[in-house]
Amino acid sequence: MLTPFIIDKAAILERLGGDEEIYAMMLEMFLNDVAGNSAALRTAAASGQAAQLQREAHTLKGLLATFSDDAGSALAYTLEQQARRGEVVDGEAQVTALLARIDEVAAVLRQASGR
Amino acid sequence: MHKVLIIDDSDINLTLIKALVLKLGECEPVLFEHPLKALEWCREQVPDLVIVDYMMPDMDGLRFIAAFRALHGRTEIPVLMITANDQKDVRYEALLGGANDFLTKPIDRVEFSARVRNMLALRTGQKFLADRAAFLAEKVDERTREIRERERELIVRISRAAEFRDPETGAHIQRMAHYSEIIARGLDLAPATSRLILQAAPMHDVGKIGIRDHILLKPGRLTPEEFAVMKRHAEFGYELLKDSGSEIMQAGAEIALTHHEKYDGSGYPRGLRGNAIPLFGRIVAVADVFDALTSERPYKKAWPLDEALRFLEQGRGRHFDPLCVEAFLAGWEEVLEVRHRFQDEAVATI
Repeated sequence: MLTPFIIDKAAILERLGGDEEIYAMMLEMFLNDVAGNSAALRTAAASGQAAQLQREAHTLKGLLATFSDDAGSALAYTLEQQARRGEVVDGEAQVTALLARIDEVAAVLRQASGR
Repeated sequence: MHKVLIIDDSDINLTLIKALVLKLGECEPVLFEHPLKALEWCREQVPDLVIVDYMMPDMDGLRFIAAFRALHGRTEIPVLMITANDQKDVRYEALLGGANDFLTKPIDRVEFSARVRNMLALRTGQKFLADRAAFLAEKVDERTREIRERERELIVRISRAAEFRDPETGAHIQRMAHYSEIIARGLDLAPATSRLILQAAPMHDVGKIGIRDHILLKPGRLTPEEFAVMKRHAEFGYELLKDSGSEIMQAGAEIALTHHEKYDGSGYPRGLRGNAIPLFGRIVAVADVFDALTSERPYKKAWPLDEALRFLEQGRGRHFDPLCVEAFLAGWEEVLEVRHRFQDEAVATI
């Protein structure tokens, strides 16, 4: 099991130069886009296209890293790299785990944003 | 205001980068999700900075940079490439492929601001230098025009120096120069070449400065010995004008030396034959002789035009290059116009 996601607002804010406004905007955007991003990952996994899977994993990796989720980002990175080499090991389980992580992060962020 | 072009297929990144760019101030972000659309925009617009993501579906950042750099005038514009932290090989490739610097995701505001500011400072420097270069080029053009103008003036004055000592008039010089230009155009020479002969032909007889008065101004026929001296004006003119850095003077030197050569090799000073005579010499020979024949001189009356024309016709292939005679005849209307414009009493400037 991955370590549970805890929002490290201080770290995120530091990267954003302490700008609360941008922080709030990023949170908002993540929550708006998360359903679409998850769906895109599911579609990519179902298509069997390694390049598509690599790209969607890459996008999620970036999103999770934006919120300082190192563990989630590492999960996406592994999938991205395997897809890049065309050697995805147990793809279904990886995709499921990544989707679960995204949902978890989204839930935490949603709570934080008060939505 | 700096135009900052931002290309990223992810909405959230576009929004974040835009927000960070706006925080910098003095920047106008232009956003594109699709690299191809951004390229289209770049055909019409010149950004001051490009920030481009590496991993995009239609066209990755490296290919975008290559296509962008290939557009005219876009080789110097700073490009920042955004890559994930783990894409070290991509970063190297980006730097080699035309990116000026890179940013890593997740984006850090301090790093982002510093790099963007550096790139914009670079751009400002480039623009300053380009403006300065344009300003200097304009100045140089202006000065060059002035020098050209002065060169033309000097040529007119040099030609007039010979005129003072020569029964030939200023109007003769104008007419024969314009006749030469008419022939040059008739031969389909480049406009610049036709202009060159117009400017250089007035110097054809400048070597007469070196001929003693009792021969140059002798009212009657010259003895064979005197004529031999008189012939030397061709070489004197050449000596006077040769080795000049001025294209017009160089052409003038060639004309001075060769305008008395004849097509059949019976001319002077070198007895050159046919196309061995430089083209300008062949052209000026027709123009000069025609005007000499049709002008009044202290020792002779002006020939009627039809007789002068017959002389040219008969001299085709003997005295004159047939093509030059043809070109002269083809421009007959213009010849008459020049003859009317530059009459012996009233001399206009070229």
